[in-house]
Amino acid sequence: MKKSGWYPIFLREMLLFRRKLLKLGYIFSAMVIPIIYLLAFGFGLGRDITIQGGDYLSFLIPGLVAMSSMNNSYTWVSSTLNLNRIYFKTFQIYIQAPIKASSIMIGEVLAGMSKGLFASFLIIIVGYLSSPTFYLSPIFIIVLLLNCFLFASLGIIAGMITKSHEDTATYSNFFIMPMAFFSGTFFPVDKLPIFIKSFIYIFPLTHTNIVMRKTELDVEGLLSFLVLVAYSSAFFIYGSRLIKKYSE
Amino acid sequence: MIEISEITKTYTTNQTKTIAVDNLSLNIARGLVFGLLGPNGAGKTTIIKILTTLSKPDTGRCIIDGFDITTNPIEIKKRIGVVPQENNLDRELTAWENLLIYGMLHDVKDLEAKIEKSLKMVELWERKDSIVSHFSGGMQRRLLLARAMLPEPSILFLDEPTIGLDPQIRRQMWDVIRKTKMQGRTVVITTHYIEEAETLCDLIGILSKGRLVAIDTPDNLKTMVGRYVVDIIDEEGHLNQHIFKSREEAHEMASRLNNCSVTIRKSNLEDVFIKITGERI
Repeated sequence: MKKSGWYPIFLREMLLFRRKLLKLGYIFSAMVIPIIYLLAFGFGLGRDITIQGGDYLSFLIPGLVAMSSMNNSYTWVSSTLNLNRIYFKTFQIYIQAPIKASSIMIGEVLAGMSKGLFASFLIIIVGYLSSPTFYLSPIFIIVLLLNCFLFASLGIIAGMITKSHEDTATYSNFFIMPMAFFSGTFFPVDKLPIFIKSFIYIFPLTHTNIVMRKTELDVEGLLSFLVLVAYSSAFFIYGSRLIKKYSE
Repeated sequence: MIEISEITKTYTTNQTKTIAVDNLSLNIARGLVFGLLGPNGAGKTTIIKILTTLSKPDTGRCIIDGFDITTNPIEIKKRIGVVPQENNLDRELTAWENLLIYGMLHDVKDLEAKIEKSLKMVELWERKDSIVSHFSGGMQRRLLLARAMLPEPSILFLDEPTIGLDPQIRRQMWDVIRKTKMQGRTVVITTHYIEEAETLCDLIGILSKGRLVAIDTPDNLKTMVGRYVVDIIDEEGHLNQHIFKSREEAHEMASRLNNCSVTIRKSNLEDVFIKITGERI
């Protein structure tokens, strides 16, 4: 494999990620919020609730995996890219290197995906331990990868357009946080009033949650999958364009 | 060869427009050490950013080794090395890892041997496995230089490369820059330090408020404004300076002065700068 292009960008992120993993605090922080939700909603509130013909825990765990993969892919990329661009100026090394904007994009997105998948993996382990009906279907795995890709690409856009590190938190509060709660992580979106429901279907995480809970790809699942592919492509292309147009 | 033709760059902050580079044109021949001299805000860093593809000019053209910076930036990036003013090393990685990533980005062949050579050149080989955040400021500047030299660029851009360094380390950096020049590479350097500019540069461009106000060899610039300076400190402690073409003229003026401290000395680039721009560096 040619070790130029996207690979050194991915390698750099993984070297930094490895150092973070060696600190126990990181693993704990990646797990703590989904575990709290699992304990509070899954074992607490949801003990006697049945949803879509199954127990609440079986419904909740795929949602927590989707939410966790979204949070970690997006936040890691947007936050580190913003810091590297504005404060540490390490992003400028990529711009001054003889590589294409799409290579920078691929390297950053793969790194974001790895972080999202790592956090998801931790929740999946908890899922296996806590819910006897939880299992990983091929659809689940494909959509998990696509969700990480989508939100890592969105993270690049946020990291490129925000003018300060504080702005990334604002974007997160306005887009990521509402998605985490209203896109079907904790309850099915079809329970929501119609005027909210049509709005909720704009959110990509809604479609991730729909497909992730399917065992077979029906029409609804296929449509949601196509929406995710469309969002992913649009975010990836726009992110690459922002990198290509970068100028100080 | 670097050819800059009528480039302009403006920044707008809070609806205030600032002209960072104002219609600048200049040519830098291969193998020269070219110094950009000017105070803060003169546009030195903006010019370096434009030439190193980090910033796009509003108007004008830049051609480096025959490639246009806006239409063929990748070819230019293959030929340049950059030491930025702000330290942009990865502080949580080791010296080796920093160079490894940079070398891969620039597709450097025989990378491990070249990393070793670069680290030895700046006397950091023994610290190759140390995390950069544990390095002193001087060590980090040396590592930046080693990183820029790793792909063996034909043009090296150094933006205030020795800022904040102690004199001994600064001289070590100068040795590396001289060696670079001896290898036939072009060096473009911005500096505040007069001694640095006089010692290293074959050609100097003086910048003031984004405009190139003079360009020549250090010797010719000094000859142009006058070779001798009379420093006069009056009873209030104020310094006044007068520049003369000849020693005789300087002596004649000095001999007419009473009740003040007078020194006659040779002019330097700071005198040139003050004379041409009316500002201090």
